[in-house]
Amino acid sequence: MTSKKILQRIWTIAGSVSVRAKILGIVLGFIILLGMGVTIQARYALSATMTTQLEEQSVSVSRDLAARATDPILLNDLLRLHDLLGETLANNPNVRYAFIVDPQGQVIAQTFEGGFPLNLLGLNSANPTEHHHTALIQTDEGLVWDTAVPILDGEVGTARIGLSDVSMRVALSTLTAQLILTVMLVSAAGILVAVFLTWILTRPILSLVHATQSVAKGDFSPRVLRWADDEIGDLADAFNTMTEELARTDELRREREVLRRQLLEKVITTQEDERRRIARELHDSTSQNLTSLIVGLRIMETNCAQCTAQSKATDLRQVASKTLDEVHDLSLRLRPRALDDLGLAAALERLASEWQTRYKIPVDVIIQLSERLPGDVETALYRIVQETLTNIARHAKAKSVSILIEKRGDIVRAIVEDDGIGFDVNTNYGERHLGLLGMRERAELLNGTLTIESALEHGTSVFIEIPLSLHSNVGES
Amino acid sequence: MKKLLLLLILAFTACSTIPQTEVVGQVNLNDLQPLPTPEGYEAVPLRVAVAAVISPKGTVESYSPFLDYLETKLNRPIELVQRRTYLEINDLIEHGEVDLAFVCTSAYIQGHDTFGMELLVAPQVGGETTYNSYLIVPTSSNVHSMKDLRGEVFAFTDPISLSGRVYPTYLVQELGFTPEEFFGRTFYTYSHDEAIRAVASGLADGAAVDSLVYDYAVVRDPALAEKVKVIHRSPDFGIPPVVVSPFTRPQVKEELQTLLLEMASDPTARDALASIGMERFIMIEDGAYDSVRTLIGDIPTSAIQP
Repeated sequence: MTSKKILQRIWTIAGSVSVRAKILGIVLGFIILLGMGVTIQARYALSATMTTQLEEQSVSVSRDLAARATDPILLNDLLRLHDLLGETLANNPNVRYAFIVDPQGQVIAQTFEGGFPLNLLGLNSANPTEHHHTALIQTDEGLVWDTAVPILDGEVGTARIGLSDVSMRVALSTLTAQLILTVMLVSAAGILVAVFLTWILTRPILSLVHATQSVAKGDFSPRVLRWADDEIGDLADAFNTMTEELARTDELRREREVLRRQLLEKVITTQEDERRRIARELHDSTSQNLTSLIVGLRIMETNCAQCTAQSKATDLRQVASKTLDEVHDLSLRLRPRALDDLGLAAALERLASEWQTRYKIPVDVIIQLSERLPGDVETALYRIVQETLTNIARHAKAKSVSILIEKRGDIVRAIVEDDGIGFDVNTNYGERHLGLLGMRERAELLNGTLTIESALEHGTSVFIEIPLSLHSNVGES
Repeated sequence: MKKLLLLLILAFTACSTIPQTEVVGQVNLNDLQPLPTPEGYEAVPLRVAVAAVISPKGTVESYSPFLDYLETKLNRPIELVQRRTYLEINDLIEHGEVDLAFVCTSAYIQGHDTFGMELLVAPQVGGETTYNSYLIVPTSSNVHSMKDLRGEVFAFTDPISLSGRVYPTYLVQELGFTPEEFFGRTFYTYSHDEAIRAVASGLADGAAVDSLVYDYAVVRDPALAEKVKVIHRSPDFGIPPVVVSPFTRPQVKEELQTLLLEMASDPTARDALASIGMERFIMIEDGAYDSVRTLIGDIPTSAIQP
């Protein structure tokens, strides 16, 4: 793996932990790094200092011993010599051993009890002209500085002292332990500091996050406190300003939406009212007039069997009949009386049979309504089905159609299916698109939904659902 | 960037360098074995004892040329033996553990009278075969005689030293006291040059020392004469002789005597003689020490520790 990839991986991992973890990581990491660095440096320095000191002590103690041992050796005062070595050991805690050798290398006196480590003899020596000679020896008890000092220029013998490094190692361990303890204490304090710091930093950030999430859901009410006069405080102010703007904009949109709905409702209502009026007019007066005309012409037809006007009367009567039929159709299409008088079920059955007759496509109608629905719902459903049938007739090339209306609890459901060529729901079909939009608008005005499922060569299904509770009955006005 | 880092690391380590001493070897301090017995010498050395007239170190320095001369002439290793007190040397002589010895006059007298210490030769210094005891005090002192040293601090040399203890005790006894009553405090220095040093440094208000040692010391260090002064000079005593043990073999005794007597005429022996401050060796009789016997009477043998 290239170093760049490794770095990226580290960056991703480091970035994905929480802010608290980051701050904690930085604080602890720094403390530990500093602690380690200080510990290492302190150990190094102490070790260097103590090594030098121990070496010097080794020299001074052995020089002292050599000077003091001269007379006892010359006077063969072995007891005094032995006491001297013992005192040297007792008064210098770092001294591990002391012994005297004669010029031939034989041990005259020594401090080991019960024998002597013979290897020690050859490891160090001093020339008669030397001030001293120090050698570092590795022993089973650690390192030892062994210093040899000639006594009376080597004529009387050599004094040897061994200084152990135990005190140094103990001091280093103590120092290390103390420093590590300090690091741990500071780390503990550091954790508290980090937690506090995190709290200070993340509290405003978290409140911002919550507020933002609320706004995303459409709730523009939350405002964020300006916790501190820092960058996050500025962010809080900016957020509040933004949210106010969004709230205002949303308010405007809602108002406009309400107005639009009201307008649409009004338009539809007005449209339906007008249609109803025209249909009634057509039925009540225009149909009546035509019927009168037809009756009159029929009387003329029968009364004037040999009149030359008989054929004319017949023609006129047929024209009038035809007109009457057309008026009926028109009236029906505008607004079927059945819709107001008998209800949606009757109106739809009539519409379906009329459509089936006209277009020669079988329509299967299943309406499961036990009672009448509110007027605006019946109107909307009727118009939607009507528009759908119109579309099928125009575009679908279907072989059969089915219409289902049912009431489930508080929702009325309508499904219109055909087995035609289908269409791509996502594309705009111009005028047809507007027609579909209009159907959806009608449903949504009543807080319902309209869904179209269609695929090419697989037919089309139109699903309508309209809730019935909390509904104002526009009804007949 | 990398270079900077490297530089930092170098600076870091350079700030604290440990003086590196290499480990020369390894030993197990707890693996103790018995020490081997020293190898026997191929030739039996001639053991020469020198009494603690001067400090042990001083003795080694002074007598080394002399002993080297003997070694060359006798073709035999010479071993110098020293002890703290005269009596210890006498003991070695009595039991034949030394062959030749330079002893103090009083030590000779006692040795001769008790176990038969034999005279070999006597040195001659300044044309004389006698010496004296000097009573010395600091130059600044108002003391004119032993009488004035009443209640003062006095330094003895060896417990049986003629010039260093026996004679001053005799002087005090002549005044009607014992040294314990007379002096404020006494202590033993076990050598004459140490006694001189004690007086010179003011540690002691007075001491009695061997005149030969005193003269030799002043020659070597003239500044000494400004620190101490001699206030009393004893009668002449026979000079400290060279003796042999009763166990020394006659042939060896013969050989040594001849050698020592002929040293004065041997050019190669000049340094040896000069080093020990002697002109020559001459024959001497025991009778030469009778004056001391008369003057002092019994030499006290008890070593009184201060």
